[in-house]
Amino acid sequence: MMPVTAGRAEADQAAAAVPSATQILPVAAGTAVRAHARRAMATRWRELTVVVCLYAGATLAGLVPPRLLGTIVTMVQRGTTAGRVDLLAGFIAAALIVQSVLIRFGALAGGKLGEALLAIFREDFIDGVLGLPLSVVERAGSGDLVTRSSRDVNELSVTARKGVPAMLTAALTVSLTVGAIALDNPLLVVPCLIVVPPVWAVSRWYLRRAPAGYLRESASWGVLTDSLAETVEGARTVEALRLGPVRRARADADIAACYAAERYTLRLRTFFLPAAEASYILPLAGVLAFGGYAYFHGWCTLGQVTAAALYARALVTPMDELIGWLDHLQTGTAALARLLGLADVPADRRPGSARPEDEQLSASQVSHAYIAGHDVLKQISLDVLPGERIAIVGPSGAGKSTLGRLLAGIHAPDLGQVTVGGVPLTELPLEDLRGQIALVTQEHHLFAGTIRDNITLGVPDAGDQAVSSALAAVDALGWVQVLADGLDTAVGAGGRALSAPQAQQIALARLVLANPHTLILDEATSLIDPRSARRLERSLSAVLDGRTVVAIAHRLHTAHDADRVIVMEDGQITESGAHRQLIEAQGPYAALWSSWHGDSSIPVHGTVENTDAGGRVGG
Amino acid sequence: MRDLPVPDPGTPDLRSAPRFIGWLIARQRTGVMLGIVWGCSWMVAQALVPAAIGAAVDALAARRPGPFAADCLAVLALGAATAVAGILRHRRVVTCFLDAAYRIIQLVTAHAVTLGATLARLTSTGEVVSISTADVEAVGGAIDVTGRGSGAVAALIAVAIILLSRSVPLGLIVLVGAPVLTALVGVLLRPLHQRQRRYRDLQGKLASRAADIVAGLRVLRGIGGESAFSARYREQSQQLRHTGVSVARTESFLAGAEVLLPGLFVTAATWIAAHYALHRAITLGELVTFYAYTSFLALPLATLTEAADKIVRGHVGAGRIISVLRLTPDATDPTCGAAEPGPDATLHDPVSGVTVTAGELVGLAADDLAQAVRLADRIGRYSSPEPAAWPGAGRAAEPGPGPGPGPEPGPGPELGGVPLADLPVAVLRARILVATNDAHLFAGRLDEQLAGAGLVDLHAMPVAVSAAAAHDVLDAIPGGLAGHLAARGRTLSGGQAQRLRLARALLADPEILVLVEPTSAVDAHTEASIALGLREARLGRTTVVVTNSPLLLDRTDRVLFLQDGTVTAAGSHADLLRSSPQYASAVTRGAEP
Repeated sequence: MMPVTAGRAEADQAAAAVPSATQILPVAAGTAVRAHARRAMATRWRELTVVVCLYAGATLAGLVPPRLLGTIVTMVQRGTTAGRVDLLAGFIAAALIVQSVLIRFGALAGGKLGEALLAIFREDFIDGVLGLPLSVVERAGSGDLVTRSSRDVNELSVTARKGVPAMLTAALTVSLTVGAIALDNPLLVVPCLIVVPPVWAVSRWYLRRAPAGYLRESASWGVLTDSLAETVEGARTVEALRLGPVRRARADADIAACYAAERYTLRLRTFFLPAAEASYILPLAGVLAFGGYAYFHGWCTLGQVTAAALYARALVTPMDELIGWLDHLQTGTAALARLLGLADVPADRRPGSARPEDEQLSASQVSHAYIAGHDVLKQISLDVLPGERIAIVGPSGAGKSTLGRLLAGIHAPDLGQVTVGGVPLTELPLEDLRGQIALVTQEHHLFAGTIRDNITLGVPDAGDQAVSSALAAVDALGWVQVLADGLDTAVGAGGRALSAPQAQQIALARLVLANPHTLILDEATSLIDPRSARRLERSLSAVLDGRTVVAIAHRLHTAHDADRVIVMEDGQITESGAHRQLIEAQGPYAALWSSWHGDSSIPVHGTVENTDAGGRVGG
Repeated sequence: MRDLPVPDPGTPDLRSAPRFIGWLIARQRTGVMLGIVWGCSWMVAQALVPAAIGAAVDALAARRPGPFAADCLAVLALGAATAVAGILRHRRVVTCFLDAAYRIIQLVTAHAVTLGATLARLTSTGEVVSISTADVEAVGGAIDVTGRGSGAVAALIAVAIILLSRSVPLGLIVLVGAPVLTALVGVLLRPLHQRQRRYRDLQGKLASRAADIVAGLRVLRGIGGESAFSARYREQSQQLRHTGVSVARTESFLAGAEVLLPGLFVTAATWIAAHYALHRAITLGELVTFYAYTSFLALPLATLTEAADKIVRGHVGAGRIISVLRLTPDATDPTCGAAEPGPDATLHDPVSGVTVTAGELVGLAADDLAQAVRLADRIGRYSSPEPAAWPGAGRAAEPGPGPGPGPEPGPGPELGGVPLADLPVAVLRARILVATNDAHLFAGRLDEQLAGAGLVDLHAMPVAVSAAAAHDVLDAIPGGLAGHLAARGRTLSGGQAQRLRLARALLADPEILVLVEPTSAVDAHTEASIALGLREARLGRTTVVVTNSPLLLDRTDRVLFLQDGTVTAAGSHADLLRSSPQYASAVTRGAEP
């Protein structure tokens, strides 16, 4: 039977995977998938041949017992001796032993082959992930990749490890069994073949609809799970905003959607299962009736009818397996298409041989649009002097982050050029780019591994000394040394949980070790807990020391401390100059600054300002 | 088919796991009964096929076409009955499965909502989520298997009657031998289960390695280390492959044994039966019947094993579900209800000395903002979050059951002279909203999510959105207000998400709104616009803004400055800038502490 819980088993895997509307990563075409599968098989055709031969041998051996039983029936009917019955029983036992031994070696060889292919597919996929262009990584988000790396790899695993061997065995069994009936008596094949057209038609009807139906079903369970997870995760928010009834209504709506999806697949099965089940029994009834007719006319023996009936009955299990796995094969192929799709992502860098002459970072006449016609940056030019501190301020949507990404060499500009030492950033090999410029965001992922592993990412051969001094530079060596395992403390998923500021310090230590001469900070400290903000700012300023810095700033005091302030609005630079100059210019920046201070008469330097204010209180 | 979900999931029996499952079954007694009836018909119809084949062979041997035709028709009829009863059973039990699963999800959702803020402290999200996947599946599975399980028992009884009526010794051989074989195969399966567990563990580890790579991909592609991660993945992948091969080795022995053992049994039984037939103790047809039954019995026996397994799993799953449904909330309503303070009540905290009169927009600044945040938590009567384990505090910040609400330092905050602790939680939440930055943004239509508990108000919504300076967020979401907001606002930047939270809090329009650092992630330009908008949006309502941002503080009616947790200065932002150097230093961050 179809597994009753088909689809539901996948629901938990699908939890994270509601298909998103904006799929950026490609899916391989059917022809490419087949070609890839063929190539993979071709490299292992010898193993594949062995597997097929072993299974075929096992199936052949398995066809002996019904045939011999038929012989026994005929012999008993005609009168025979106990000794001949014993002999035939012995032959049956021998056939069984041969069958079991062949099955054992076939299953082992099949398992080895499946595991090997599976390992190749998943390793190639991860290499594809690790080679994704920077611009795609920045834009695609992780949802789609998470789905591919979890659900699709699992789906493929089930198909490769269980599905393919099961289908191979079943297909061999069905064809060889029909062959055995033909050998028994060719006439008796006819009733078996009668069912082929209707079974083919119903299966086709079902398989055309089933994958989409089950996908929708498992996605609907995913939504249900996600909603519940949200209710739990946001329980405090639910309480604060009194969202209880809303969340319950939401759960009911999700359940209704899930139920609709379940009812759809149930309706498909309502037509398909009885048809499939009938197709199993029809050959049996047909063989029996036709065989009886033939027997009455003396065209065949009672033993032949018996053997054919037993063969027809033996068709039920492999037919069931075959049809049961068909839709898995479809989902497995779809999963493989998504895994192979990564290979179709075009490279976004054209590394050349030119190397930067100096550390001068320049953008000239740069325009960029994510959607054609909607320029986020409009012909911006900016020269960053080595050692300079630049703060970019401006309202949301002004294009600050986009400019940051262009300056960090993540996106190539549509028009104009961003160069370092005269070389366009996207023509530098990635390894070289990393030594020059780094983009620092508020994101601070800790990888599963030791603290050392997490810091030496870009510099794998760094010694303990270098790691420790990087930690010391960001003011984190103290707490790391206090840990029982020091640098070897396992962190990240499954390891010791670090606080967010600690994780951010580790991320900063990575940068110290990677040692780029220019840093682009994008809201690097914007979401820091006020309890640790100052400490982290100290860590950050240690990292910035001696480097060129372009900071996309939220806080005006960052702008105030910078050598140059760039004010951006609507994709253009509207003001540029030192803080003091901009204040004197009395433009929008000056207005903002004065509102920030509540009093425009207050001098611009913090230290002076304090004394001054204090003095005024005193006076 | 019934309509799901049911409007009210009912009150479950939480006394024990079996009682809980019993309660679920009692909700759909007819469905489960029909499932059993169809399950029995389905299995018995299949069980009669070998007997019909045997009868047909006998009719053939006796050369009697009439009965033979009848027997063929019987096989056909049994096939039709199997198909019809099978699908009716399937439809019935799937509905029962879904009824139970959905009911459990409704119950857990309702309970999570009741527990509110307590829930996160008592259990992890993962644990509750595993209920909606694994445990629901387990309990549903136990209910689902009732149909097939009873069918298996019925089939076994039918086969026993048929075989014993033909030949007692042969019947006994088959009826005793088949279960013994099933048990034997079960024993052989045990080492396989162990290896499969190991395989699944490794598979899980490899999947988390992949997830880790994907989650940190920006970092990896930005800083480097791809080859090391590729090598590590490859190493783990090969380890999994080798374990997979060792599983395959065990499985291959088992696959062989699964053919050999029953096969030898069938052969032995058939051999004996053939001798019986030779001595005319049984007919030829009966010989065929015996042969067919020896292999048929594997089906009901496997079903019974599966049923036992599913019932055990269902029991465990039900246990985990009731343990969550039994949790009770922290903030219980006081037994003696205090008189509810009237409208326009003054908010007062005796410990810090903070007093906010009705209709005021008050800024709450602090030398250490964490103290002001804690005060906001006290006003909301939330158990204080654990202080972050900062450097050297040698303990892992593992999530898990922490201590309950700690002893309050002195008397708690009051509203109109009534201690907040004496108010029912519902009243408290209705009048005071403490809006923090960790507030969750739920997935769904943007306007509905902003409206929160209320209805989408076409007038109020644009006003709140513009007050929160969230216009560009609408542009960032395809479809704007009618577009889809992703869970946790994960497609948005920190600043965009923060402004949506602010808009939602403004739309909730509570009598008293406490905003904790509402602009910490937005740029100065936007902050200035929010400062203006907030003032307009909250006109005439009581608002407390916990912040050190001068742009916001400048637009408040009054600023309270907390030092060491108590109010040391009060006045307008401009006044305080002049009069308190500590204030000036705190809000402009001009100097290092």
